[in-house]
Amino acid sequence: MLDLRNVRVRRGRRETLHDISVSLPAGQTLAVVGESGAGKSTLIAAILGLLKPSAGQITWNGASIQSIRPALVMQEPRAAFNPVLSLRRSIMEPVAAQGIALADGRLDRLCAGLELPLDLLDRRPTEVSIGQAQRAGILRALIASPPLILFDEPLSALDAVTQKHTARLISDLQKEEGFAALIVTHDLGYAVAHGDQIAVLKAGRIEEIADAETFATNPQSAYCQSLRAAAIALGGLEAAA
Amino acid sequence: MIQVIGGLLLRAIVVLSGTALLTFALLWNAPGDPAQTIAMARFDALLTEDVIDQVREEVGLNRSFWQAFWAWLGPLLTLDLGYSAVTGRPVGPDLWAAISYTFPLAFAALGLGLAISIPLAVIATKRPGGWLDRFAVGIASLGNAIPSYWLGLILILIFAVKLAWLPALGAATPAHAILPALTLGLGVAASLTRIIRSGILEARGQSFLPAFRRRGVSDRAVGRDHIAPHAAIPVITVFGLELAFLLEGLVLVEVIFGRPGLGTFLVEAIMARDFAHVQAVVVLTALVFVTVNLIIDLIYRVIDPRIGESDA
Amino acid sequence: MTLTATGLSAVRSGRTILHPTSLRIEPRGRIGLVGSSGSGKSTLGHALIDDLRAQGRCVAHVPQSPDEALDPLRSMAFHWSEAEIALGLAPGSADQAGLFQALSIEGGDLRKRPWGWSRGMLQRFVIAMALIGNPDLIVLDEPTSALDPVVAAATMELLSTFLKGKTAAMILITHDLGLAARRVDTLMVMEAGRLVEQGPTEDMLERPTTQAARSLSAHRNWMALPC
Repeated sequence: MLDLRNVRVRRGRRETLHDISVSLPAGQTLAVVGESGAGKSTLIAAILGLLKPSAGQITWNGASIQSIRPALVMQEPRAAFNPVLSLRRSIMEPVAAQGIALADGRLDRLCAGLELPLDLLDRRPTEVSIGQAQRAGILRALIASPPLILFDEPLSALDAVTQKHTARLISDLQKEEGFAALIVTHDLGYAVAHGDQIAVLKAGRIEEIADAETFATNPQSAYCQSLRAAAIALGGLEAAA
Repeated sequence: MIQVIGGLLLRAIVVLSGTALLTFALLWNAPGDPAQTIAMARFDALLTEDVIDQVREEVGLNRSFWQAFWAWLGPLLTLDLGYSAVTGRPVGPDLWAAISYTFPLAFAALGLGLAISIPLAVIATKRPGGWLDRFAVGIASLGNAIPSYWLGLILILIFAVKLAWLPALGAATPAHAILPALTLGLGVAASLTRIIRSGILEARGQSFLPAFRRRGVSDRAVGRDHIAPHAAIPVITVFGLELAFLLEGLVLVEVIFGRPGLGTFLVEAIMARDFAHVQAVVVLTALVFVTVNLIIDLIYRVIDPRIGESDA
Repeated sequence: MTLTATGLSAVRSGRTILHPTSLRIEPRGRIGLVGSSGSGKSTLGHALIDDLRAQGRCVAHVPQSPDEALDPLRSMAFHWSEAEIALGLAPGSADQAGLFQALSIEGGDLRKRPWGWSRGMLQRFVIAMALIGNPDLIVLDEPTSALDPVVAAATMELLSTFLKGKTAAMILITHDLGLAARRVDTLMVMEAGRLVEQGPTEDMLERPTTQAARSLSAHRNWMALPC
């Protein structure tokens, strides 16, 4: 279980995360929703250990978060890969370098689950579609079976149809693999459809934390109500009949 | 803004004093006896130990390095450049005479360089990769590869010796400045053409430009108001460096064309170990550099105030 | 007056990215041009703008992000008067106050350059600028995808309200049928450089006939997914 307790992060003179406490049980999904500048990326950087909290703790099952090497899926699928290497090298070399032995057929199974033809992996990131590149990014995150995967706006570079398709693939793989997923997104519709819990971040604080059902029907704070109204106005959520 | 200018000025003072100290130290520690060199330059005849010692005493070479440096620096703070060790005359008027030959030449070369490179780059980038573009790039590469002393000699050979259209040596009339200005200006034009060309091409690739055309803004206005300012940023950046090359070229070209300018002044002073003269040229050059870079910094901030926001 | 364009097409590096397409746009029309990425919808939008311009019609365009519409080195005031001049108007003659009020950007400091404004305000400024010449048609290419949802929704609302009393038609180009469905009465579906289906929004949501339209309709929001 991922546990953040009273986490504060400073960037320069400004505190960009104030007193964040949230937990994410294994195998579940926590969606973190917020607008740009709310502190979503800072949160990811803190969990990855790239930024050190000025106060509070980030733990996994009570031990340091560093002990489990959380994986990351980035926003820009193509930029996340070395442009001159094949996808296969980008994905497999870190695994080999860490001396991790993969179970027989794991790569094939994951590729099938992500609807990635195996020979596609021999191409470079610019030679595949953006949706395929993002699925390759998910494959890279999954390959070494990390117990926690962080998704930083994983769908925002994709079109509406591909978004929903990719979200479904992530969900299905999560059921099989059992990883905990922390998904950062600005799209309340995505959060509601795929999050077990949703935390809304505003100006570095958690504005509201509740289950998806609550956010879809009747969030408490005025800000979250405006987020819900915007998601409906933009067609991402359907107003309850 | 005042804080910014203050910071830039402080940096300028550090650069100036550092340069002055460094050259003084180099000259002081150069091999050979400076007193003997100065005495030879002064009397140009057989020298006895007595005469050399007398010069040493008079010029103050028997002092320690720091004493000598302070003795030079002190009066400089009141804009007194001191006296030549060779002629005994005050440095100021002689330096001014040299400047009056050099600065017009430098400005003419810069002006010529800009007058050639801007239109050439603009024409070349009308169709990137076209024959005009390749021709311009080829000419510019050739211009960069040719050393100025060689070009100077060729120009003398053609226009002064063969055609006898222009005077080659000396600085008696404005016509005497044409060949040296051409020599330097062509070199400046060659390097500026390449920089302006790539600046324009890069500025043309800006992702917002199609929207301006779609809005109905004319190509002319897009070029003038949007491409030109973006292209100017890298050009201004290298302009300071360009000046360094220009000064370097000036020294050679003045010697080749026998012009009594700053370059000749400096070469003679170094030969004679004339401290006051060398230091005067060094301080002046550093001052020009610092001023130009100061102006460039300020122009930057006017074109794009985001530059410099980070150090505010 | 009805706008028509016939035989719009486009070829890029030897490949046809837009097959010959004809469009008819009624005044006050609200059209959604939808399709997956790479289907040719932006290309059709650009070709349409160029064609109508050539016919002497006033057509405005709003690109996806303000970064693609504004020069970071020029002030907002400069952009505004440049747009006026481009339309053949005298600088300062457009109803700036009215447009700014309609798009709720009255407070913006026009002496600043784009990076001194928030993105939401910038995008509304770009829309206001597009409306200067009272266009017959305004083409919005993914106008909200670079904005935060609350700002995006407010921007679309302000534009809809403004257009209500005007004869101008609007084309909304988007990959998101859910977004388009709430704003338009006609949908046009693009696939692989072709306009494959068009019709009233209701019909398209209920009875899409082509594969492309069915897929867009089925994925139009996060709740309407087929299970």
